[in-house]
Amino acid sequence: MNSIVSVSSISKKYQLPSSKKEVGGSFFNKIFKINKLEDYWAVKDVSFTLNKGDKLGIIGNNGAGKSTLLKILSKITKPTTGKINIQGKVASLLEVGTGFHPELSGRDNIYLNGAILGMTKKQITQQFDEIVEFAGDQIAKFLDTPVKRYSSGMYVRLGFAISAHLDPDILIVDEVLAVGDADFQKKSLGKMKEVAAKEKTILFVSHNLTAVANLCNKTLHLENGYVNQFGETGEVLNHYLSAMQNNLLEQTFEHINVAPGNDLVRLKYAKLTPSLVGNQLIADVRSSLKIDLEFWNLIDNQNLNISLHIYASTGECIFNVGTNPKILNKGIVQANLTIPSYFLNDGNYLVSFMVVKDKSIVLFNFEEVFNFEIADYREETTWYGKWPGYVRPQFDFPIQQVSQKL
Amino acid sequence: MAFLNILNSRFSNSFELFLILAKRDISVRFKQTALGLIWAIIKPITTMLVFLFAYKNVTNISNISGFPIQIVIYSGILFWNLFANSFQSVSNSVLLSSNLISKVYFPRFIILFSAIAVSFIDFLFGLLVYFILSIYFNINISYNLFFLPIVVFITLLLSVGMGAIFASFSVKKRDFLQIIPIIVQYGFFVTPIVYTSFEFYLKPWFKLYAIFNPLVGLVEFFRFSLISGYNVLSLNDILLSIFSSISIFFIGLFVFYLKKDTFVDYL
Repeated sequence: MNSIVSVSSISKKYQLPSSKKEVGGSFFNKIFKINKLEDYWAVKDVSFTLNKGDKLGIIGNNGAGKSTLLKILSKITKPTTGKINIQGKVASLLEVGTGFHPELSGRDNIYLNGAILGMTKKQITQQFDEIVEFAGDQIAKFLDTPVKRYSSGMYVRLGFAISAHLDPDILIVDEVLAVGDADFQKKSLGKMKEVAAKEKTILFVSHNLTAVANLCNKTLHLENGYVNQFGETGEVLNHYLSAMQNNLLEQTFEHINVAPGNDLVRLKYAKLTPSLVGNQLIADVRSSLKIDLEFWNLIDNQNLNISLHIYASTGECIFNVGTNPKILNKGIVQANLTIPSYFLNDGNYLVSFMVVKDKSIVLFNFEEVFNFEIADYREETTWYGKWPGYVRPQFDFPIQQVSQKL
Repeated sequence: MAFLNILNSRFSNSFELFLILAKRDISVRFKQTALGLIWAIIKPITTMLVFLFAYKNVTNISNISGFPIQIVIYSGILFWNLFANSFQSVSNSVLLSSNLISKVYFPRFIILFSAIAVSFIDFLFGLLVYFILSIYFNINISYNLFFLPIVVFITLLLSVGMGAIFASFSVKKRDFLQIIPIIVQYGFFVTPIVYTSFEFYLKPWFKLYAIFNPLVGLVEFFRFSLISGYNVLSLNDILLSIFSSISIFFIGLFVFYLKKDTFVDYL
């Protein structure tokens, strides 16, 4: 089978000003602002081929070279070495609304943006009504208003609507789905799937692994500019996720003298164990979380309880849960907590706990004992926007038809 | 044939993009202004009035080379603004379109050519004022007017060529942006804009001067096409400047061609 995209060992070198500050650089260098340059390879030796109809997901951490790779593939910048062979018309969406002019009306900007993205005037005129309809009623109403008066949501919707009506053989998309409100995301993803169904080739960068898993048959995992893995999506994602899962979720302190704490209490052991079902590799919203804590109590006969806080990565406290107070003697004290499945929403969380005496005096606050991430998981959904809220309960919420009369 | 078709469709796509970018610049130009297009003629008229004041009150000159001073100065300024404004906007065009260049691929040359649209429109309005002036001063318009489009075209080629060089280099080193106003400011005085080359066109250094400053031949050719009876330079001198302008145009495009793929890395 003929490959439609073939990339053979492309590399891209940037020259960055050296991070090492030269102490007392020469007078000449200072006057003429001469900096030593250091080579930095944003993309190194990347090769892959795609056949017609392949959907490629490109994943990797920030700075892994994803965006540089997309820029090279969309001809915006040239690779330092290596060859690319792409057959067919390419449209790249590295952002929505590229080249919108704030002073021009929505109508003028549709023509402007369309032309920039490679549509002819005729094509735009033919699809004009569809574009406006796709963008929504609000845009239709303000079609002759300068886009500087648009809300950012309207701006994005109009931009995406234009891009969605490009008709390329190969579509290159960078995270543009991460914008807009939930309704619009649904619409955009639907449109992407529609394009996907049309035997088009798509290259798609995303942090949203669920969307990659659903949309792409192949995945390229980049790490520091190199290809970590390229292959079938399922395989690459599993590998990627298991590599991510070495967060520090267990702490053990052998010696009481070096353990965190003070003269009253010291931490001995803390562990967070997510339950994994089926072929699950990392904690997601389905997982229950078991927290085991052990500490040394250094004073006899105290009335102690533990108060545990879970914080969102934004710093807000999600909840605070406490044990009952208990008279405890010198030695090791243990406490266990289980957070049920479908309780925390996907996101990053921090756990802190304090040991409290007589229900009011804080003996020690153990901060940031765990820092863990919960991944998203959804079944039978077509919507991949961020699920709102910190909690993700599954309450019984029946719906039924009680009558068929109007 | 297939190859020609592809080439043709590429060219027509590029031409459409050129038109739409030019249209954008023109329609944005006077948004939220009360006077709108009148601004296009205020600048040449005020410059002319300033020089009139100086000539009349300081040196008491009322005609240059036998033509009304107003006509000589205004036609010079009209020409100079066409050149200087397009040169400046072409020089800045790449940096100003950095958001486009770093996000979408399209033939980069379009940026250079669309940048001259605004100065061209301004020029047309200035030309209208010239015709009014020429009626007032009883200056005839001759068949030489047919040369006007040629002069204008070559002037635009020169400004695109020079602008392309500055646009290409200023992406990496912004020092080049500092040179542009110097050229525009001093070029105005070393070119016969508010005077004519009548006094010195026979000097031995003139040929060299016309090659290195092709604007000399162009501005005199421009006046030749507008002012009936104005015939200062020989055809040879004018051809020298035209040849020099076209060479600069191609050199500029070549520099731009060599540099264009690295723009994104420095924007």
